[in-house]
Amino acid sequence: MNNRLKVLRAERNWSQQDLADRLEVSRQSVNAIETGRYDPSLPLAFRIADTFGLRIEEIFLRD
Amino acid sequence: MSTSSSSASRASRWGGLSVATGAAILGLKLADAIGPGTAYLLAIIPLVLLFLCYRASLDAANSGAGASRAAARYTIGIMASSLAYMLGLGVAMWVWRNLEPSTELTWLLAMLPIIPIFWMIFVMGRYVAEETDEYLRHRAIMASLVGLGFVLAIGSFWGFLETFELVPHVPGWWSVPIWALGMGVGQFWQSRRGA
Repeated sequence: MNNRLKVLRAERNWSQQDLADRLEVSRQSVNAIETGRYDPSLPLAFRIADTFGLRIEEIFLRD
Repeated sequence: MSTSSSSASRASRWGGLSVATGAAILGLKLADAIGPGTAYLLAIIPLVLLFLCYRASLDAANSGAGASRAAARYTIGIMASSLAYMLGLGVAMWVWRNLEPSTELTWLLAMLPIIPIFWMIFVMGRYVAEETDEYLRHRAIMASLVGLGFVLAIGSFWGFLETFELVPHVPGWWSVPIWALGMGVGQFWQSRRGA
């Protein structure tokens, strides 16, 4: 699954750690999700969407 | 990598290495490949690794992240149970070999290493239950599965060689060090591939 996390972070000038702190997860988690090596659960995907103020489908895209 | 997660990851690595080296030294000693003096000297290695594990665990715990607190609790639990295991096994083996205990006492002696192993397994299960970071939990489960794969593969491989009298008998308690080794390999493999 592709995602726009890196772009969305860059737009807000957030580091991976900044996003991890907002999501209350490890930076490793953000990195793994961002690089597509780990697909988040639905609850975490909703938290990510809420953090960016977007809908899930505006962040995560089908391959 | 954040300070908390890298500390937790370092602590897990030190803890795994400590268990593996401790088990290897005990194995060498029990197989009479090394003498007691050498064994005590080599025992410094797992103890130093335990100390490093403890320091890294404290660093992780002090970071304040919930996920790292679970990891720190895990590494401290593993460290304590590993130490209890090594001490329990050492005491039990020494008493059994040198003091000719009664059958009743031998049952109790056998419990000395068994109880810490149960404690270790409980700590592993508790970590999976307590870890709030789903990705770290996923990694821990994957590492456990790699460890389980090691136990099943090596156990059945060696077991059949033993059945056909090609290799000497190996005690069943080796399953735990092999599992720990497999978990360490699993964590290392996931770190290498950046997962």
